Amino acid sequence: MPDEPILELRGITKRFPGIVANDAIDFDLRRGEAHALLGENGAGKSTLMNVVFGLYQPDEGEIRIKGEPVTMRSPREAINHGIGMVHQHFMLVPVMTIAENIALANTPTHAGVLLDMDAAERRVADLSRTFHFALDPKARVENITVGQQQRVEILKALDRNADILILDEPTAVLTPQEARELFAILATLKQEGISIIFISHKLNEVLAIADRISVLRRGKIIDTVPREGATEEGLARMMVGREVLLRVEKAPSQAGDALLEVEGLTVRDDRGLAAVEDVSLSVRAGEIVGIAGVDGNGQTELIDALSGLRRAESGRIVLAGRDVTNRDARYVLDAGYGHVPEDRQRRGLVLDFSLAENIALHDYAEPPDSRFGWLFPGRLIARARRLLKEFDVRGGGPRTRAAALSGGNQQKVVLAREIGRDPRVLLAAQPTRGLDVGAIEFVHRRLVEERDEGRAILLVSLELDEILSLSDRILVIYEGRIVGEYGPDVSEEELGIAMTGGGRETEAA
Amino acid sequence: MTARVATASWAELRTARLTGVGGILLGIAAGWVALPPISTRSVVLPLVLGAAGIAAGAWAATQGEKRIGIGAVVASVAGIVVAIVAMRAAVDNLELVVSWGALTAASLVYATPLTFAAIGGMFSERSGVVNIGLEGMMLMGAFFAAWGADTTETWVGGVLIAVVGGAALALVHAFFAIHLRADQIVSGTAVNFLALGITGYLYINIYSDRGTPPDLPQIPDVDLGGLKDVYFFGPAFGSLNLMIWLAVATVALSYVAMFKTPAGLRIRSVGEHPKAADTVGIPVYRTRYAAVILSGMLAALGGSFLSIGFNHSFTENMTAGRGFIALAALIFGRWRPVGAFAAALLFGFSSALAQRLGQVESWQSYQLLFQTLPYVLTLIAVAGVIGRSIPPAAIGRPYTK
Amino acid sequence: MSEGRLPDRPPEEAPATEPGDYAPSVAARLAFLQRSGGVITPLLTAVFAFFVGGIVVLVTTGKNPLTTYRAIFDGTGLNWLFPWVTGAERTTAALNLQQTLLLTVPLILTGLAVAFAFRCGMFNIGGQGQYTVGAVSAVIVGAYVSTSHLPHVVLAIVVATVAGAAWAGIAGLLKATVGAHEVITTIMLNWIAFWTASWLFGIGGPLQLGGVGNESVPASETVKETAKLPVFWGDPLLQGLHIGFFIALGALVVYWIVLNRTTLGYGVRAVGFNPDAARYGGIPVARNYFLAMAISGAFAGLAGATDVLGWEFRLDQTSIQASQIGFIGIAVALLGRNTAVGVFFSALLFGALLNGTSTTNLDPSIFRPELAQNLTLIIQGLVVLFVGADVLILYVWSLRRKLRRQAGAADTA
Repeated sequence: MPDEPILELRGITKRFPGIVANDAIDFDLRRGEAHALLGENGAGKSTLMNVVFGLYQPDEGEIRIKGEPVTMRSPREAINHGIGMVHQHFMLVPVMTIAENIALANTPTHAGVLLDMDAAERRVADLSRTFHFALDPKARVENITVGQQQRVEILKALDRNADILILDEPTAVLTPQEARELFAILATLKQEGISIIFISHKLNEVLAIADRISVLRRGKIIDTVPREGATEEGLARMMVGREVLLRVEKAPSQAGDALLEVEGLTVRDDRGLAAVEDVSLSVRAGEIVGIAGVDGNGQTELIDALSGLRRAESGRIVLAGRDVTNRDARYVLDAGYGHVPEDRQRRGLVLDFSLAENIALHDYAEPPDSRFGWLFPGRLIARARRLLKEFDVRGGGPRTRAAALSGGNQQKVVLAREIGRDPRVLLAAQPTRGLDVGAIEFVHRRLVEERDEGRAILLVSLELDEILSLSDRILVIYEGRIVGEYGPDVSEEELGIAMTGGGRETEAA
Repeated sequence: MTARVATASWAELRTARLTGVGGILLGIAAGWVALPPISTRSVVLPLVLGAAGIAAGAWAATQGEKRIGIGAVVASVAGIVVAIVAMRAAVDNLELVVSWGALTAASLVYATPLTFAAIGGMFSERSGVVNIGLEGMMLMGAFFAAWGADTTETWVGGVLIAVVGGAALALVHAFFAIHLRADQIVSGTAVNFLALGITGYLYINIYSDRGTPPDLPQIPDVDLGGLKDVYFFGPAFGSLNLMIWLAVATVALSYVAMFKTPAGLRIRSVGEHPKAADTVGIPVYRTRYAAVILSGMLAALGGSFLSIGFNHSFTENMTAGRGFIALAALIFGRWRPVGAFAAALLFGFSSALAQRLGQVESWQSYQLLFQTLPYVLTLIAVAGVIGRSIPPAAIGRPYTK
Repeated sequence: MSEGRLPDRPPEEAPATEPGDYAPSVAARLAFLQRSGGVITPLLTAVFAFFVGGIVVLVTTGKNPLTTYRAIFDGTGLNWLFPWVTGAERTTAALNLQQTLLLTVPLILTGLAVAFAFRCGMFNIGGQGQYTVGAVSAVIVGAYVSTSHLPHVVLAIVVATVAGAAWAGIAGLLKATVGAHEVITTIMLNWIAFWTASWLFGIGGPLQLGGVGNESVPASETVKETAKLPVFWGDPLLQGLHIGFFIALGALVVYWIVLNRTTLGYGVRAVGFNPDAARYGGIPVARNYFLAMAISGAFAGLAGATDVLGWEFRLDQTSIQASQIGFIGIAVALLGRNTAVGVFFSALLFGALLNGTSTTNLDPSIFRPELAQNLTLIIQGLVVLFVGADVLILYVWSLRRKLRRQAGAADTA
C-alpha cells in the first residue's frame, strides 16, 4: 500500500550497563520523505540508528520493513533489506582508492578468484555520473575532500541498492556551501524514491531539509512534528526540556594590549607541505578571537606551533611580550599560556591519573608541588580540591580517577587546570566537542568570564555557531592562510564562502 | 582536503630518484670491485666509484630525495671501507670467504625460514594483529617436523604435522588477542614461552639424552642437473633444498593473494579500518583468526626447514631469535612480500657471511663474535627504517564491536 | 563463528572511531587489572596456570601431578616457614630456602626492570641481555681490580648497574629518537650480549681464564675475595644467602619511591598512561622513554652483579647461554602487576619453582628435573598469557556483579 511506512520501529529499547540508551521508541519513515531525528549529544540518536543498521540488537521491540517484521543481526542483513548508512565518521579505508572501497562492499571478480578492479571503477564512474557526484574512481580516499568522501559513502549505499538511507550528522564536517550541495543531492534522491533519515543536532539545517522532525531526549521520543509550524526555539525546548540560551549573553569587549602576536608564521605538516603559510594575527587582552575553517586547513598545525609542539619554519610568535617562537611546550606554558586541547581524552587528560595528578600536569616539577625532584602529594590534593570546587566539577574528588567522570566534568577539569594557572593567553580548541547542552553553556559562559578578566582568548572551532556566539573578532583560515577578518555580526553565508576560499580580505565591519 | 604540491615537480623528483639509486649502485660497486672475482688491489677504482656515488647521493638529497640520497652516501662510504678492508686481507682468505656462488646459496638457505615467517607475519599484521609469537610458532614447526618425520618416517608427514603444530599455537595467540582482546605483544611473548616450554618438554620426554635420530627423513634438495657446472649459477642454485624454492613461490603467491584477490582486499581493510569493514559486512574476527592461523602455519614451515631441511636434527631453542629477525624483515620490507623477501635475503646474507668469516684460520677465535652480525644488522636496519615505516593503521588495536 | 560473543559496548561519548584511536597502553591495562582484581586475580592466575601444568604432567607422563608438585614444593624450602617443621627436616628446609632466596634475588631485580619499563608503557624484553652485561662488568671489575673490600664491592656493583643501564639505554635512545620499537631492539641486544659474552669467555677468548690446564675451559677468571658479597645466613662454603638479598629489598623500596614520590616517576607514569597528553602537558616524552629504559636496565644489570658477586663468582659460557633469569622477570613483573609488593611475591614464587625443579632438589624418580624445568617454562607462559587477558577478568567480574545485583533484586522483589 502506498501509504504504509517503509520503515517502522515499535517499542525499541536498548540498554547498556548503567543507562537506557533507547526507551520504548516508536518511529516511522514514509516512502520518499526526509525525516530528521533531532537530539543533543548522548540522547540516543546514534544508538537507535545502529539498531536499525544491525550493529546492535535491541533488547525489546520490533522493526518492520515494508510492513514485514525483521530482525537485523548484522549490517549485512540490514544492507540486504535495503538500508544504507552514512556514518558521521566515515567508514572508508583512507589508503585505498574509491573503487577499492566500493569493491569492499560489493566485490566484482574474474571467475571468482581475482579482483576485477576495472569493473569496480566503471561502476563508480557510472553511478557518479547519474547522480552528479563528480568522483574519480582511482583517487585515494585520503586525498579527496570531506564533501567528496561523504558522497563516496552515499555511493556505497546506492551501489547496494539501498532504498532507505540513514545519514548520521552529515553536515558536521561540511561548509555551508557543501551542506547546500548535499541538500540538493538529497532532494534528487527523494525524487528517485529513496527515503532518508537524517540525524542532527543542528536546528537550522533540520528545518531546511526535513519533512518531519522527531525529537529525542534521554532515550525517549518526545514528539514528532511536521516541518510547517516548527521553530528553532520550540525544537530546542523539546530537545533540552527547558528554555535554552541559543546565544551567550555578553557585553562588548574592552580590549587592551595585544598579548599574543603572530607574524608571518609558516609551519610544515608531517608530510613536509606548508600547512600554515605566512599567517599573522593578534589577540588582545579582553577579547575572544575565533578562527573558523573547515577541518584540515592548517588549524591543527597552527595550534601545535603556538603551543610549542611543532617547529615553525619561519615567522615569530610573541606571547605577553616574550618571544616564544620554536621554544618547547614547557617554555611556552611558563610564559603564560593556557591550552585546552581539542581531544580531552587523548591530549588533555591522563585518564588513569587522579584529578589531583591531572591538575598538576604542568606544574608537578616545580615548587610547591615538588622540590629537588621530590613530590608532595598532599599539596597537589589541596590545590585540586580548591579548583574542583571553583569549577563545580561533579562526579569525584581529588583522588578520583579522571576516567570516572563524564565528558562535561572532564572538560571542566581541563579548564580548571588551565585557567587555574592564571594564563595571559588561553587557546581553546573545540572546547565543547561531544558535550551536552548544560556543559556547553558552562564552558561558553566561563570563556566569556575569563575574557572579561582580561585574558586573551583564541578560539579554534569547527562549529560556526560557537564561533559566531563567542567571538569578538572572527578570522577565517583556508589552506593555511588567513583569508578574512570579520566582526561578530557577519553572516554564516559570508563565512562559508571565505571558508571555501571564495572571499577576499575584508576589514572588520 | 586538497593535496598540496611539493617543492619540486614530478619530473624533477624522478631524475633525482634515479640518480640516488644510481649512487647506491655505485657505492655497492666500489666495494664489489675489491672482492673476488675482480679483486682489484689498487685503491683508485673503489675511490673513484665511491666518490661518484657520494656525489650522486648528495645531489639527489638536495633535489628532495633525502632518504635515497643519504642511503647512497652511506652505501658509498661503506663500499670504500669494504674495499680497503678487503685489500688488506690476503687474497686466499678473500677467495675463501667471498665465494659468490656458495655465499648466494648459503644466503638463500639462511633466508628461507626468515622468508616464511615474514610472509606469515605479513598476513597477520596486515589484518591488524601484531604477531610477536612468530618465533614460538617457528620453534613448534621445527620440533614437530622432526618428531613428525620420525613418527611417519616421511618428510611430508613431518612438514604436515609441523604446520598443524604452528597453527595450534597461532590459534592460542589468536584467541587471546582477538576474542579476549589481550595486549597482543604480551600474548605473543607468552606464546613464545609456551613454545619453548612445550617443545623442550616434549623433546626431553621423547628423545631425552639421545637426541633426535640421525637418520631423520629430510626434505629433499632439488638438483638442477644441467646447471651444475655453470659459473656462479651452478654453486648458487644448482642443488637448493625444495623448501627454498617453495619460499620463493610463497613470495609470489602471497603477492597475488594479498593484492589481487578479494580475500586480500578484505584482509587489508580489516587491518586498516576494521569498523569500516564491519559495516560492509566483512567478518572482522573471522578474517583475523584466519590470518593469524595462516601466519602460524607459514612460520612453522620455516621451522620445519630448519630442523629437517637444513640442520638434520632438532635442538632446544634452535630458532635462536629468527622469528624476531623475520619480524624486522617484514617491517624493513614495508609489509610487502617482495620487500620482506629482499630484507630476509639481506639478513640471510649476514648470517652466511658470519659463518664463512669464521672459517678463516686467523679469525677462528672471533667466530663466536661473528655470530652477532645478523643481530647487529637487524638493529641498524630497525633503527634506520622503522621510524618512517607506516604499518597498517589499525594494527595492535583489539577490535571491539 | 558468530561475531562478538562478548556483550555490546555502548557508543563512546566523544566521537572517536577513526583508526588513529586512543588505545589503552600496557601500563593502563595492568593498572586496571590491579584495581579490579586486587590480590585475588594474580592468585587465581597462578593457580590456574599450575592447574593446566598439572594436566600436562598427567597427560604426558601419566604421573600424579599432586605428588610432582609436592616434590617440587619440598625442594623449595618454603616449608621452613611452617613452625611445626623441626629437626633434620628443618635444617634441610633451611638450606633449600637459602637456595630459593638466592634465586629470588635476581628475579626481584629483573622483575623490577621489566615492571619499571612497563610503567612507562614499554616492553623491555632485554632483561636477559642487560643482566648479562651487568654480570660481565661485575666479573671484570671483581677479577681484575685490586682494592679493599667495601670499595671493591661498591665499584663492581656501580659499574654493573651503569653497564645494564647503558645496554638498555641503547634501545631507549633508539625509541626516543627514531621511534624504533623496543621489543625488537632489546631482543637483538639480547643476542648480541649472548654471543659477545660467549666469545669473551670462550676458548681462546680475550677474557678466558688463564693458567695451565685451563685452555679448554670456557670461563672467566674468578672474582677476588674482596669483591664477594658477605653471606649472612647459612654457610658461605655451601652457597649461603648473601646480603644481595637486602640489596634486592632495597631496590623494591627505591622502585616504589621513585615512581610515587619523585617528579621523574610522575613523568614516567604519565608517559606510560598517555604519551599524547604528557606531550601536550609539556612533559618531555622522548627523554622519559630513554630514562625509563635506562633505569630498567640498571635494575637488570644490578641483578647480574648480585649473582656474580654473591654466589657465582665467575662466569662460564654454558651458564651464560642457559640463563633465563631475564625472561622469567617478564612473568614476575606481569604476575606482580608492576607493583613492588607484587614483584616480591611473584619473584618468590618463581624462585621457589626454579629451585624446586632443579636437578639437585628434585628426585628424578618422582619427576625428571629437565622436564620439570620445561614445565616451569610452560607455567610461566600460561601466567603471562592469562595476565594479558584482562577482558576475561572484566567479564568474570561484571558477571559476578550482575549475579549479585540479580540476587539483590530478587530479595527486594
